[in-house]
Amino acid sequence: MGNSPTKLDSGNSTPNGSVVSGEYDISNNANYRHRSRHASLANGILNANTNTTTAYSSRQRAHSMFDKLDRDKQKRKSTKEREHLKEIHARGLVVKYDESCDGGFLAPFGCYGFDKLDYNIVMVKRLIVERKLAPFYTPLQDFDESWSREEIIKIVDGLPLHASFEDNIEEFEDVPLGNLDKPNFDYLIDKNLSKKDQRRQHSKIFKARLYRRRLIWQETANETFLEDKMDVRMGKVKNKYLPSDDLKYSLYKNGIECPICFLYIPGPLNYSKCCQQPICSECFVQIKRAEPHFPHEEVDPTKPVTDDFVKDPNLLISEPSNCPYCATPNFCITYKPPKTRRTGIGGISPSEFQDTEIKVEEVKEKEKDGIDGETSPRSSTSNDNTNLKPVDNKVSIISSDDIRPDWQIKLKKERQRLAKRAANAEAIHVSNQLVDPEYSTRQSSNSDIPTPSSFHGGNRSGAIDQIEDEMVQHAIRLSLEEQRRGKKN
Amino acid sequence: MASLPKRIIKETERLVSDPVPGITAEPHDDNLRYFEVTIEGPAGSPYENGIFQLELYLPDDYPMEAPKVRFLTKIYHPNIDRLGRICLDVLKTNWSPALQIRTVLLSIQALLASPNPNDPLANDVAEDWIKNEEGAKNKAREWTQLYATKK
Repeated sequence: MGNSPTKLDSGNSTPNGSVVSGEYDISNNANYRHRSRHASLANGILNANTNTTTAYSSRQRAHSMFDKLDRDKQKRKSTKEREHLKEIHARGLVVKYDESCDGGFLAPFGCYGFDKLDYNIVMVKRLIVERKLAPFYTPLQDFDESWSREEIIKIVDGLPLHASFEDNIEEFEDVPLGNLDKPNFDYLIDKNLSKKDQRRQHSKIFKARLYRRRLIWQETANETFLEDKMDVRMGKVKNKYLPSDDLKYSLYKNGIECPICFLYIPGPLNYSKCCQQPICSECFVQIKRAEPHFPHEEVDPTKPVTDDFVKDPNLLISEPSNCPYCATPNFCITYKPPKTRRTGIGGISPSEFQDTEIKVEEVKEKEKDGIDGETSPRSSTSNDNTNLKPVDNKVSIISSDDIRPDWQIKLKKERQRLAKRAANAEAIHVSNQLVDPEYSTRQSSNSDIPTPSSFHGGNRSGAIDQIEDEMVQHAIRLSLEEQRRGKKN
Repeated sequence: MASLPKRIIKETERLVSDPVPGITAEPHDDNLRYFEVTIEGPAGSPYENGIFQLELYLPDDYPMEAPKVRFLTKIYHPNIDRLGRICLDVLKTNWSPALQIRTVLLSIQALLASPNPNDPLANDVAEDWIKNEEGAKNKAREWTQLYATKK
């Protein structure tokens, strides 16, 4: 891979101490790999042996080893529980006009797809309410400096609460939805399918239904927003959640184009901690760790390439995301909440907001004189300075990992999955060596990579029981030998 | 097909209004995510005087995912394989959403100026490059002459 000069070179180094083990050259470490794998197999068999009879087949032995692995894991959630959590997540992504902070919202506008919004919504909402992260503002596609106050207000009045949804998603084409009001959709599943395929169908239908339901939830919220806006415009009622014209103008006259989505967003935005570049919250929640992967190595083209299949699962790494602007590892943002407005949750009603630059000056004067503007209670008359609650001067730092705290679980799961696969292959490899004495010589003639395709089903049937103990002993012997050799080195 | 994100529209406009010297990128009429690209070989490199055709596609997740770029013109380069696939960090692990079509194409142009045979995509070319750099460069020059010159 060529190194482009457009970014800092730090991207290739691993800053995190915990992943440094992945740095050494695996292509020269075939011995280490084998040693560790034999050892783990033998350990697994020994562990299994303590509480099982010798009548177990090798495969079952291997399985009991994984049962142990599974027991070590956190108790797995049932499908139902997991689906329930997904539903709560999807509900949390609905933008509601009466849940606002300083003129923005607690859920994103929808520039990025539903399946990309896998951040921790509870965490993000809390950060927004605490004014540690900019709220999700409704973006403008463009902005023209020459727009008058009236024009800006008119444009903002026409803004939707959420971006339009993609209606016909290819993935969900021809997936039956059934009655969306009823939670049970078992009747849609073809009972003639195998258990596995039924599960697959279930999850497919669940996904399609959730997508559709979220669309309906958002549309309902949009309708409420429009109707309430109409009622206010026609002078029927007052609505404390809808922004005043002053708020609309004050929000959008001082906007900025986010360098990532190129949309015009009311300020202040979040800023990268390292290089002080702006980023809107909608883009910030998209920045995350890459999926667990093996470290990229520069290789000598004259040597054979190591396949991912034979790599040690423990070498899988997951690095914190880099700053999109300067590639500094472990991307963090800072956010200074607006000084001139504090509306919605934790502030005054958006409808009561009044924009007067003079008032800011007044507050500053008062603060200088030692008078605390915060002590006066919020009043609906707002002829005082209650618009302006002095803001905490402490700047908080939020990292990408803060809003996706589950990355470690993900990495662990992927490592376990690979370890399982490798151990399976190893078990087959060892059993084949024993069943068929010529197997190993044939195998080593091309490569030492055990693959599931090298399984000789026919030879196994009768012999397997008799060679049970032999196999176990052989595996242990191999492991001990390797260990001894390892110590010598 | 969802409507085109503002970012893609603005990037395309800016590519036209403020083009990069030595590089052209034009969106396809019926798919605005697909670009026809040409890159001039950098002066002083074996690719000098060549004009290389590439295709660039912006996937659905762009800009969170890197654009997909491929050489259409045959080229002798250790980081570009026979199918025109490019091994470049910013197209893979070092992609950042703050990069753009413009910066990616500049990076590719820079890769032509400084090949990296220690991280090859085309193994045979890289081997050749390490063992006999002059010979490899001559061959690259030959190929540029053969395939990347205006007829």
